[in-house]
Amino acid sequence: MKKLLQSLFVLLFVAVSAMAQERTISGTVTAQEDGLPLPGVSVKIKGTQIATSTAGNGKFTIRAGSNAVLVFTFIGYLPKEVTAGANAVNVSLVADNQQLNEVVVTAMGQLRTKNSLPYAAQQVKGDELTQTRTANAASALSGKVSGLQIIQGNAIGGSTNVVIRGNKSLLGNNQALFVVDGVPVDNSTNNSADQKKGRGGYDYGNAAADINPDDIESVNVLKGAAASALYGSRGANGVVMITTKSRKQGGMGITVNTGLSIGSIDKKTFPKYQQEYGAGYSKPYESGDGFLLIDVLGNGVKEKVVPTGEDASFGAKFDPNLLVYQWDAFDPLSPNYHKKTPWVAAANGPASFYETAISNSNSIMLDGSTDKGTIKIGYSRNDERGTLPNSRVLKNIVNFGGTYKITDRLTASATANFSKIDGKGRYGSGYSGLNVNQNFRQWYQTNVDIQDQKSAYFRENKNVTWNWADPSKPSGLVAKYTDNYYWTRYQNYENDTRTRIFGNASVNYKATDWLNILGRVTLDTYSEHQEERVAVGSNGAASYSRQDRTFNETNYDLIANFDKNLSKDFNLKALLGTNIRKSELNGIYNTTNGGLIVPNLYSISNSVGALAAPIENFEPKEVDGYFGGVTLGYREFLTFDATFRRDRSSTLPVSNNTYNYYSLAGSWLFSKHINADWLSSGKLRINHATVGNDAPWGKTLSVYKVENQFGSTPVVSYPKILGNPLLKPETTISTEYGLDMSFLKGRVGFDATYYTTKTKDQIVPVAVSPATGFNSIYLNAGTIQNKGVELSAYGTPIKTNDFNWTINVNWTKNQSKVLELFGDSKNLQIESFNSGVSLNATLGQPYGTIQGKTYLFNDQGQKIVNEDGYYDQTTSTSNVIGNINPDWIGGIYNKFRYKNLTFGFLIDIRKGGDVWSLDQFYATYTGISPTTVGLNDLGNPVRNPVTNDSKSGGLIYPGVTADGKVNTKRVAYNADSPRLPVSDYSYDAGYIKLREASLGYSLPKSMIKNWGPVKGVDLSVYGRNLWIIHKNLPDADPEENLSSGNVQGFQSGAYPTTRIIGFNAKLSF
Amino acid sequence: MLSLAACKKDISSLNTDTKNPPVVPAGPLFSFATKAYVDAMTSASVNVNVFRFTVSHWAMTTYQDEARYDFTTRTIPQIWFRTMYTDVLRNLNNSAELVAADPLLAAGVKANQLAILDIMQVATYSTLVNTFGNIPYSEGLDKGNLFPKYDDAKTVSLDLIKRLGNDITKLNAASDGFSATADIINKGSVAKWIKFANTLRMQQGLILADVDDATARAAVQASDAGAISSAAENSIFNYLTGAPSQNPLFVDIVTEARGDYVVAEDLMNKLLALSDPRLPQYAAKNSVGVYVGGVVGSGNTLSIISEPAPKVYAADAPSVVMDYVETEFYRAEAVERGYAVAGSAEGHYKNAITASILFWGGTAEEAAAYLAQPAVAYATATGTWKEKIGTQKWIALYSRPFNGWTEMRRLDFPKITPPASATSAYPTRFTYPSNEQQLNGTNYAAAAAAIGGDKQTTKLFWDKF
Repeated sequence: MKKLLQSLFVLLFVAVSAMAQERTISGTVTAQEDGLPLPGVSVKIKGTQIATSTAGNGKFTIRAGSNAVLVFTFIGYLPKEVTAGANAVNVSLVADNQQLNEVVVTAMGQLRTKNSLPYAAQQVKGDELTQTRTANAASALSGKVSGLQIIQGNAIGGSTNVVIRGNKSLLGNNQALFVVDGVPVDNSTNNSADQKKGRGGYDYGNAAADINPDDIESVNVLKGAAASALYGSRGANGVVMITTKSRKQGGMGITVNTGLSIGSIDKKTFPKYQQEYGAGYSKPYESGDGFLLIDVLGNGVKEKVVPTGEDASFGAKFDPNLLVYQWDAFDPLSPNYHKKTPWVAAANGPASFYETAISNSNSIMLDGSTDKGTIKIGYSRNDERGTLPNSRVLKNIVNFGGTYKITDRLTASATANFSKIDGKGRYGSGYSGLNVNQNFRQWYQTNVDIQDQKSAYFRENKNVTWNWADPSKPSGLVAKYTDNYYWTRYQNYENDTRTRIFGNASVNYKATDWLNILGRVTLDTYSEHQEERVAVGSNGAASYSRQDRTFNETNYDLIANFDKNLSKDFNLKALLGTNIRKSELNGIYNTTNGGLIVPNLYSISNSVGALAAPIENFEPKEVDGYFGGVTLGYREFLTFDATFRRDRSSTLPVSNNTYNYYSLAGSWLFSKHINADWLSSGKLRINHATVGNDAPWGKTLSVYKVENQFGSTPVVSYPKILGNPLLKPETTISTEYGLDMSFLKGRVGFDATYYTTKTKDQIVPVAVSPATGFNSIYLNAGTIQNKGVELSAYGTPIKTNDFNWTINVNWTKNQSKVLELFGDSKNLQIESFNSGVSLNATLGQPYGTIQGKTYLFNDQGQKIVNEDGYYDQTTSTSNVIGNINPDWIGGIYNKFRYKNLTFGFLIDIRKGGDVWSLDQFYATYTGISPTTVGLNDLGNPVRNPVTNDSKSGGLIYPGVTADGKVNTKRVAYNADSPRLPVSDYSYDAGYIKLREASLGYSLPKSMIKNWGPVKGVDLSVYGRNLWIIHKNLPDADPEENLSSGNVQGFQSGAYPTTRIIGFNAKLSF
Repeated sequence: MLSLAACKKDISSLNTDTKNPPVVPAGPLFSFATKAYVDAMTSASVNVNVFRFTVSHWAMTTYQDEARYDFTTRTIPQIWFRTMYTDVLRNLNNSAELVAADPLLAAGVKANQLAILDIMQVATYSTLVNTFGNIPYSEGLDKGNLFPKYDDAKTVSLDLIKRLGNDITKLNAASDGFSATADIINKGSVAKWIKFANTLRMQQGLILADVDDATARAAVQASDAGAISSAAENSIFNYLTGAPSQNPLFVDIVTEARGDYVVAEDLMNKLLALSDPRLPQYAAKNSVGVYVGGVVGSGNTLSIISEPAPKVYAADAPSVVMDYVETEFYRAEAVERGYAVAGSAEGHYKNAITASILFWGGTAEEAAAYLAQPAVAYATATGTWKEKIGTQKWIALYSRPFNGWTEMRRLDFPKITPPASATSAYPTRFTYPSNEQQLNGTNYAAAAAAIGGDKQTTKLFWDKF
């Protein structure tokens, strides 16, 4: 009380003494770069507590004594002191371009200058994300931030994998948390488990795709646990903080973007086919030379027919003079009906199935501000049609944001983001007939002309396949394995909708100069509806299924912020808060059973068989937490941070359901002590954090499963995955050391970080021997360590008034190692794929080893060939044949500006890491790959029979026999030859890509000044995925994956890269 | 503060699954287990049950891995092992725990239910032990032991026979067993379970005959009177016409409509040579109306090779779990081995073949004519009793391929020539699941060493010849 009285007295004294000689000073504050007024600039009389801030039009008035010194400060601008000689003071502030003084948004929305940050955080400006108009904001970050690995597939609207500093969790979520204006935005990928391991299904995308890229002001990536500890366990994988746009200057503005892009497949990422042999599996068939003999015309004459049921190209050698009946000879509407056609390779191969992708995007953003508040309304529409026929993803997003100053102390604000994504005909994925690419890459006949298949489908919209099961009889004129590709795309398509709202409402009360209290409610809710269908007439049972899912999450935050200079030297910032998070996932899946009664009716009731029980899930969850943090600054060069958070989660057993996080961090801006022209800034930083994590929902208990009834018999099964009532929270410990330096007035600089993280007591479903009676049990088991180096460097080699060249380089090397698994076990299978290949966490190895059979080697490391002349293989499938982790990743961004013309390009590099290709495995097995033809060592076609003379086909596998002698046995090369071990199909996944390039031109101000309200016109031409400069994986994009998530490094039916070239016009009013 | 107030509330209830049950009655678990067992034994999916190729009854049109004895590309041993332990045994075991703990169940009913559950467990363990050799047994099915050791195969087999003895003693037809609804195999008939158990004991006993004649003899002689004595006493799993209760073969062949399977020439040629009346029941004619078999392990063109007859894979095609046919073959064999079993070898042989022909839809006249052929008649058919019984049993065990494989390994007839491109010699066992090496490595290594190497050509302990 006494202190308070003293303060009041001091205030009164100052006020009274000021009154004696004061006058009113007024003026306008503008930004130097464009001359526009700056609202919200703090104007303070030096040496006093008297302060005000500028209004929406940049104007201020303040009462001050003569010769008072006014101090103008504003985030992002250099402070300025002006002695108020006259009554009117107009000031223009210079933007602060030195990156170390950048202001960044950190955890819980706190603004910090970069030179006081004791941890790694890297900012990307919104326009760097939108310059090539990527629909998914997450994928636009690729190559732009060190420590961040982005993997994006090539399917339309597909999900983007966003992992910061390596996988920390064995089987849990490793995706970064997205926070938009303080709203944690769910970034789940709700693809099925089967889809993720390549067993078919669709990639429905990740939920962060609902963020409007045009609304992004900046993205700040908080990489380590110390930076994100305030977010609790969800921040353990790093945080992508997104700040949306809001008007800083007074008045009103309108920005319109309109653009169009076209895309086509990069042929380097699509198979090439051998052109010498057609359908068959190396059999003579009935004709003796590779054809069936059928009385096609009913005249009693048996004639040669292509073995249409064989989905391989190990058949008869092409011969343009040989006329045979092909699949179209059995299509009554075909011009070739009952006609023989020449036996030749297809003129139009599978690449001709791909169409030109067309996408147009339009957005309009209206914003305005007055001295009372700001408002923003945006609408964006992105209509994307993919390279596969009948594919489309349409996105409509409406944004709203507003703030209103109710009193000088009380500000209310709200944001809302409403989005609707409609997908139709997303690409089928993985090893499934619904993925036409599985067939193109694995099970194709090189004689099948895709354009003929197209005509055949469109003549009557029927499933006229090349893959007739048995052309000798009418009942055999059905698809044996493969439907007509156009039938697949136009009849067996999926459709989906996701409707979402996220946003917040908050009230900020400025209690005193040094105390702010924020109350906030955030909401994120979406509903998804997905329908999948297989039409009557397709291979396999017709079906229809629907998945309906709603998710909502509400956060209640109450946060108090302190910011006070304790003395001349010490500044204290502190925060104290509480957060209650409630979320609920509610879903139901229904499917028909045994076929559809009425064709083309897609409803659950149209099921031939008795309906299986729907699969329902209801997963409510609550996490309550409170947190606090202090930041102590000393003379602007030493900063010390400490944070604490305690969470209580509903997914853990009551006895063990609270867990704590701590972080300690410090930084030293040592350049303050060095007076050298060349050194602009230098900072050392160090931090340490321990964060906890809870369990996935519902893992403390085991439940039975009510199965489909058998007739009238109820059937129930014992749980295959056991829950565990003794689970405890898992823990991640991280340490980080960093050095940030800039030189030559900030023209050159770098941020370097070395980090280690260790995640232990992981909550994982540990796979156990099935002899226990179940497949896995939830346990706290396993430790993963990640160590790495991140480097971001920037420079401006040339800087003149007219010409500018800037370079940004990001480089990341992360090394993970599995330190511990459950008990004595040495391996934890993450996923098992087709053909005995699996993805694993193996003790002592990096996370994500690819395992399978491999060659047998002798002591000298030579491959052993068995007595039949083929390679011996291991019987065990647990040999490490690859590893999904890149050695390093990096990005180089160059930007050139000449007057109003800008040109920029981004090279994205991934060095090392492996991918296993089921596509290549089968392309060689079925003989479609060019590697399956050609001449042998004798100069004869390798596919010719082995005759043991100079005319012999076949080949001699390099290697030694069991007794060490060089193998000399010549063996046949055909469809019956034993396959090479799966290890042969593990490829280096590295690449160098020209990821982005853009050329922009802003119309000169002089030209548009007479265009009425138009303030700016920016035109750009851009390209994405233009050129894969280098890769080692043949015929495919090494980055292509099935879905985001932990299961990576496997390709089946991989989609080619889509090269995109677009044009965009941006108009500002 | 808000959260401090909230802390008083118990939030852990949110973690309770409100859509799936934490407790269930015993019957539906028993139904699940029996269905899972019979599904696996019946299926022809190359991911589940590959024995139709191993016994050369069927061949594949296109994809030949499994027909060439490559069982590890699709991890068949792993699926087989997993199905038996987690789908079948765990559910039987848990059902028994619930029955034993049920205070309201009448003592007689409880005893019968426990015995029936035990018989099904014995049947399943016998399938495992005769597939792999040493298996986790005494330490299996225990969530407190995640690394169960493997027990010696013979010790397991002897214990299984002992358990059947106990079960037969406990079963009492005067009390009820499971309800007719829950008991899909025997529709609630305890009497039929007694028959089932006796035939199973006879089967397991004879498997040991070459290595432990005394045990085999005792088991067979104790079972003869109680074993199945007519087709009416067969244990049949009746599938239903509607999905999802259809015969797995219907799903594999009709629903999937892939045209994968044809009848193998080994079986086809035998049926043709013997003018077997079961031929039209087993196989369909090819597209030009002729019976032609396909080559196991080699590509076969659908249009020129016979597919299985529609009756075999009808949606409601019954699946035989235990029947009079095999019991009569066991009795014939027992007589030949000099065990004290009623009747003559020839009589039992005739009964077995006649019952098989009748079961598949043939007539008594057809059976008589068939048996009258010198190549079939017991007195004149070629070879030793092992060859005569082995050959006819092989034909009769059509669509019971696992049993067929066991009998072929045991009786060593008929002789099958492995496909030219086979990846190994004739498989006499499955290798252990590859993931056992990683999940239960120490015990796996001990078991592999104990049986003489984890190879699919290692002979099981009873496979002396």
